[in-house]
Amino acid sequence: MMEREFVCIICPNGCRVKVEYEGINIKNIKGDECPKGKDYVKNEITNPLRVFTGSVLIENGNFSLVSVKTSVPIPKKYLKKIGEITRYLKVKAPIKIGQVVASNLLNEDIDLVATRKIEKKKSLSS
Amino acid sequence: MPEKEVIIIGGGAAGLAAAVACQQKGIEDILIIERGDYLGGILQQCIHDGFGLEKFNTSLTGPEYAQRYIDKIISKKIPFLLDSMVVGLTPQKEVVVVNSNGLQHYRAKVIILAMGCRERTRGAINIPGARPSGIYTAGVAQELINLKNYMVGEKIVVLGSGDIGLIMARRLTLEGAEVIMVAEKLPYSSGLPRNINQCLCDFDIPLLLSYTVVDIQGNGRLSGVTIAQLGKRGGIIPGSKRKITCDTLLLSVGLIPENELSREADIILDNLTGGPQVDERGQTSVSGIFTCGNVLQVHDIVDNVSLEAEYIVEGVVEYLEGKLNKEREIKVELEKGLRYVVPQTLIRVKDTIFSFRVNQPGEKKVLVFEDGKKVIKRKFLRRVNPAEMIRVKLSSSELEGIKTLKVKLV
Repeated sequence: MMEREFVCIICPNGCRVKVEYEGINIKNIKGDECPKGKDYVKNEITNPLRVFTGSVLIENGNFSLVSVKTSVPIPKKYLKKIGEITRYLKVKAPIKIGQVVASNLLNEDIDLVATRKIEKKKSLSS
Repeated sequence: MPEKEVIIIGGGAAGLAAAVACQQKGIEDILIIERGDYLGGILQQCIHDGFGLEKFNTSLTGPEYAQRYIDKIISKKIPFLLDSMVVGLTPQKEVVVVNSNGLQHYRAKVIILAMGCRERTRGAINIPGARPSGIYTAGVAQELINLKNYMVGEKIVVLGSGDIGLIMARRLTLEGAEVIMVAEKLPYSSGLPRNINQCLCDFDIPLLLSYTVVDIQGNGRLSGVTIAQLGKRGGIIPGSKRKITCDTLLLSVGLIPENELSREADIILDNLTGGPQVDERGQTSVSGIFTCGNVLQVHDIVDNVSLEAEYIVEGVVEYLEGKLNKEREIKVELEKGLRYVVPQTLIRVKDTIFSFRVNQPGEKKVLVFEDGKKVIKRKFLRRVNPAEMIRVKLSSSELEGIKTLKVKLV
């Protein structure tokens, strides 16, 4: 039996969640203040998930970069690899919030979506 | 001189939320004045997620959070000026603005100060040593990397464990840099626990508590820093000095509310918060000048900035209707365990949200509100942390008839 304390990252409360588990079987969870904490800890033990956020170069936009995130949380182990990919990506303006700017990264069905509205260079006002 | 009902200085999280709240309350003649070339302020460079959980019940990135407000500003046609710097403010609520059209003067019935805060720099913490390039405050590095496409360095030491420093440690790692360590002079982190977890632990970046940078080396570009361990009283432990080879030093050593304009308007400031002294609806010592957001007190969560802005607008509306009369004046006094309180004074009997920060981390504490010997309210807190603002609401019935108000943490 393993015992570990997690700091839940789902919201700013940062609840401490104590877990007893064996392998990936959770025996007991203490301290979670909401169901999200339970789900978070389950994932941390089996397959930790994170939202990747970063930025991508834009061609011909009113800013030089557009901020992006993965459309859903992805396995933690892919974060650095996605970072390497975004360093060499380039997309064209205009871009809307939520627009997919790259898809099926690492052949793992990971999509990047824009989180900022970018207009073409000429129209500077938003 | 053009007259406005409400002028909001600053188009960041606080200013935008205040503008939208004013509009929703029926105030039509609003002007937002923003010195940057876009609305949203610091949110636009905070491209990580985790914003909006309280306000919108979903996890947003900074730009997405800002856009929710910008969309409302645009659709409701709330006027704003960009690239426009307020260079003068008087107690008579006259505003001097400078932009590409030259100098302009405005007068307003109400001013809302929403200028935010800025970072403490190397000069503020007096690190001795050489003066090479490669030393950035964390927020400036964030702007350069996330908005300007400029990478700040390859081998990085972060001094200070404020949230922006932690966020940037992760961001730099994902951009291919090596973050050697985060050093914090206090025995506990000044960032949120979840950021230690997801920004440092996830990437095996060590957090050295009770460590600080005592020397900087480099001719032209930074070539290294010397760190040292600090004892219980803050002095350097002999023999603990260690040289770290790096090309960049990031500073995340605190934020200062930006109150030059407030001073110019003779607004009384609170030494503890660095922001104006206010009553329960964010009105400063100058009648009709209100304030919210990081210029009032440094927040750790943007949702609270938005909520604070909406909350003080209730006072703005009453002021404009001539209903904001001073019924009493009670100074909120602090006793042990608390670093500051907002509001500092109560002038009426109203439901009031108090914000506090504690002096040091602790567990199983009780926040006690007293009028003389009489306990008005007790609030149990499972954990307290200087990094986490405490917000407590007292109802008008709890505040009715009190002569004094003292708050302590036991």
